[in-house]
Amino acid sequence: MSLDFKLDIPRYDNVISVKTTNNRGFSPEELAEECVGKIISVSDTAPPAIRDQAHAFEKNVEKLVAHYMRRSIESDRTTVWNALTDAGHPELAELIRRL
Amino acid sequence: MAFSGNYMCTSFKQELMQGTHNFTNGSGDTFQIALYTNSASFNAATTAAVFGAGNNEVATSGTYTSGGPAGSTATNSLVNVTPTTSGTTAFTDFTDKSFTSATITARGALIYNSSAGAGSNTANSIVVLDFGSDKSSTAGDFQIVFPNPDAANALIRIA
Repeated sequence: MSLDFKLDIPRYDNVISVKTTNNRGFSPEELAEECVGKIISVSDTAPPAIRDQAHAFEKNVEKLVAHYMRRSIESDRTTVWNALTDAGHPELAELIRRL
Repeated sequence: MAFSGNYMCTSFKQELMQGTHNFTNGSGDTFQIALYTNSASFNAATTAAVFGAGNNEVATSGTYTSGGPAGSTATNSLVNVTPTTSGTTAFTDFTDKSFTSATITARGALIYNSSAGAGSNTANSIVVLDFGSDKSSTAGDFQIVFPNPDAANALIRIA
């Protein structure tokens, strides 16, 4: 008798996914959706009442995460604005602020 | 010559038993990812990553650095999840990896151990990943999303 252990990866399933953007970065909403996917997972076979409640919670968390991501971006812009202004580039600082 | 699916490299399985790889976050080895066009051909028999345009690795762009571990330690490194267990399954994984401001077209990737020592030779292959189709970014973000690090989904699981 032997004791087996299995270490393999599905050959044709998408075990990872790739997301790309063109001429921009990801938006807070796109990243928030991804973030929540890492925090909350709901089985498709869960009882409907629990599944629906979990999905509703998921959407609320997604909005909250996106909100704080936007806040974080705005706050970082303030930091960058100050750094560029202090370095003598007020016009560049304004460009960044208006993004 | 083309990607033909995902493969856990057979040499990696052997090297696990030889104690070559340490996935402990922080104190363990460094794992990196290399991206390739569909002209590359890797499978379970792949033992080491190869680099540069001649080996169908995508070119340096944005924060992606082509050419192997010497120049890409900071940019192509992955953050690994310290191995843990759930039930009778042991698993490890990586956090999502983004290459920013990048113009890249890649069909697949190879994850390798870039830390020399304990039998590893800076390019020992771990896993071949087939994206299923060409994925492209133009002056944008190229993000690889790894599965959730749990017993049912983690990229590397021993059950």
